[in-house]
Amino acid sequence: MSKQLGKGFLYVAIALAAFIATSTVIHALLPPMIPKGVAAKLKYFSEHKDEFDTVIVGTSQLYYSVSPKIFDATTGENGMPTRSFNFGIDGMHPPENFYVLDQILKTKPKNLKSVLLELGEVRARWFPILGTQRAVYWHDWPRTELTLKQALNPRGNANWFIQITRLWVARRDLASNLVLFGKQFANAGRVADLFPAAERERFEDAALELGPNRDGYRLAGDAMSAERAVSYQERLAEEISTARPKILDPATQQGYRDAAALIRAAGAKPIFVVPPTIFQSPLQFSQSPPPAPIIAFNDAGKFPEYYDPKSRIDDSHLTRAEAEKFTVVLAREFVPQTVQP
Amino acid sequence: MLFVEFRFFWFFLAVFAVYWSLRGNRNRKIWLLVCSYFFYACWNWKFLFLIMASSALDYFVGSMLARTDDARKRRGWLIMSLCANLGTIAFFKYYNFFVTSAAAVLAWLGLPASLHTLNIVIPVGVSFYTFHSMSYTIDVYRRKLEPVRSLLDLACFIGFFPQMVAGPIVRASQFLPQLRSIRRFSDVDARGALVLFLTGFIKKACIADSVAPFVDRYFDAPWNFATASAWVAVLFYAIQIYCDFSGYTDMAIATAGLLGYQLPINFRFPYFAENIADFWHRWHISLSSWLRDYLYIPLGGNRGPSWFVYRNIMITMLLGGLWHGGAWTFVIWGGLHGLALMGHRAWSHRRDLLPQVRDMQKHVPPKGPRSVAGWFAWALTIYWVCFAWIFFRAVDLPHAAPALRSFLFLPGGGTQDLGAWMLWIVVALGFVHWLNSRGTFSTWWRRPPAPAFAAGYGCAFALVLLFIPPHYAPFIYFQF
Repeated sequence: MSKQLGKGFLYVAIALAAFIATSTVIHALLPPMIPKGVAAKLKYFSEHKDEFDTVIVGTSQLYYSVSPKIFDATTGENGMPTRSFNFGIDGMHPPENFYVLDQILKTKPKNLKSVLLELGEVRARWFPILGTQRAVYWHDWPRTELTLKQALNPRGNANWFIQITRLWVARRDLASNLVLFGKQFANAGRVADLFPAAERERFEDAALELGPNRDGYRLAGDAMSAERAVSYQERLAEEISTARPKILDPATQQGYRDAAALIRAAGAKPIFVVPPTIFQSPLQFSQSPPPAPIIAFNDAGKFPEYYDPKSRIDDSHLTRAEAEKFTVVLAREFVPQTVQP
Repeated sequence: MLFVEFRFFWFFLAVFAVYWSLRGNRNRKIWLLVCSYFFYACWNWKFLFLIMASSALDYFVGSMLARTDDARKRRGWLIMSLCANLGTIAFFKYYNFFVTSAAAVLAWLGLPASLHTLNIVIPVGVSFYTFHSMSYTIDVYRRKLEPVRSLLDLACFIGFFPQMVAGPIVRASQFLPQLRSIRRFSDVDARGALVLFLTGFIKKACIADSVAPFVDRYFDAPWNFATASAWVAVLFYAIQIYCDFSGYTDMAIATAGLLGYQLPINFRFPYFAENIADFWHRWHISLSSWLRDYLYIPLGGNRGPSWFVYRNIMITMLLGGLWHGGAWTFVIWGGLHGLALMGHRAWSHRRDLLPQVRDMQKHVPPKGPRSVAGWFAWALTIYWVCFAWIFFRAVDLPHAAPALRSFLFLPGGGTQDLGAWMLWIVVALGFVHWLNSRGTFSTWWRRPPAPAFAAGYGCAFALVLLFIPPHYAPFIYFQF
């Protein structure tokens, strides 16, 4: 019996090895699967990569808040002309932003001088969008590793015993990220992406996603309703009262350190940006100085204009008029950072 | 947890490794029971108590049946078991159906009544495991089976995870003897089981789930589509339901096989049937034979005058339709098959073909039709089967009507198009299925040495995964 079982396990090992080898070869042969929402910007950028020297990478909070046209005009007025591209994507939180940054730098933009990368915490919870391509495509091992580390040690102060206990607490996050990694590694469903219909679907909203000036900036809407403003102000008040400096967890710090190194290796300067989010706690790295300068706007005391309900569409996004003003301020803050070593 | 999910692979690897490492038969059965209950609890742990209660009750009834020879008492115990099992199904699956139907009848009679429906969650596989359970009690009552001595055996049989939620409907007399003796790994046809699992995986994940979005798109709003789209959608649904259910069954049989247990086959190329009776000897065989043995024959079967036989056929098929769910569409689906079976029986009787039909059903030729008349009969059968599928798939009768019109070659009314060229996919899949029925793929994979087979299997799985759609759809028969 044991001899037979031993042989059985040997054959399982052979099958697994063949599976891994085949998947690896297919993975290398196929182009990276970039889903709708990201594909249009990446394609446009790769076709015009040498036209831009500044890239802004982040979530919708930058996507709808930074107009490259105004940004470039302001930097020009301040003696540091730029040609920028807004690579903000709806819901692109870390570590997805690290993967997209990787793809941007792989296009080898010759004139790239600065990358503004939105600073936020690594997210490990993806099961609400588990079945989507958007959740799968960036789950390569480096990014999956970050999510697993974050799930096991979200505050960054857990000892080995707590981390083992968290295996149970975080089991769904761990399992969902591993499943997503498995799908990404095993090229699950990749044949469907190669059909022209899938290609058409990926780019059907390209014009909208690239914005009217084809610089990646999407115009935001109008201010929130009075009813919504009440709940927003209550939430903001609560955030202000509980705000205190927050040390980023180890996985997030590692992700941003690696990203900064990657940007520098590409010959550009990394700058981290915290948009005017409702979360008021200042984000900090455990080691000083941080891997890149941080320009933070999440302080309602310092920037009250961004936190007025008339300036916001919702809890997260500025109105179109306020976005334009914010772009000017961001550009002014950006200029001195570029001249520092 | 679905057979096609990544986590099932890890689950089964753990079940398999521990199962074959355990020494005693009892230890293995305990392990199987724990894993089976865990498998079910992944969906909803609360309904585990229902399975446990069903197992305990039928164990108790089986023991009581063995203790007495008094016919009245025995009948009483049987009725108690049937009431409990059928009552469970009736409450969870049919309460709302009966209430809304009763309210509609009362309203029609001019007696409007506000009867309350309940927001009931149907336990996954309730129709399957109660049928497993009932087969045990009925066979013990009929003295065809000795009652089990151990509750563990009965619980293992009812809860065995490969077949618990969507069949095949295994008879107690088929499975319980397998639990009595320890399984030997040397008896396991691992290669056959692995290929069967991969076949089932391809059917479900690559074919059924790929055509499902087109079917859903059409049946969500059939009045928007042109006639050709109805044909595409109905034929795709025929493919989807076959690949979904037979794919599940293949994976269930393979999974059980790897643990040393044999489950009965459930499908024998049903779409190559030359008549409707032949179809029911090839489609969901475990249900049709269950209904035959536990419903049709007790009703009188083929004995008695013709009208009596036709009545038995119709009752069996209507209840068979209703077994699938509490909706008039399922009842009509069963009724259409009942009508076709009656028509076929009358025609065979008139042409004196019954002996030939019986003979054919005994041998069940797996290959397609062989003569011109056979091709015509096949076309008529597949047309009727697909026509009936419209009722099976449509959420209600208004949704079925546009598809029926189009399927009867009447103008569809809508303008949207699924793409008539997709009918070529049906032809291509049909051709592959035909090759399979001729045994083209049946043995060559047995020839290479084991290490080469293992390597080939790993490569094949990696290639198959390329073709799966991004979303897994739940197995259609889970809702039954």
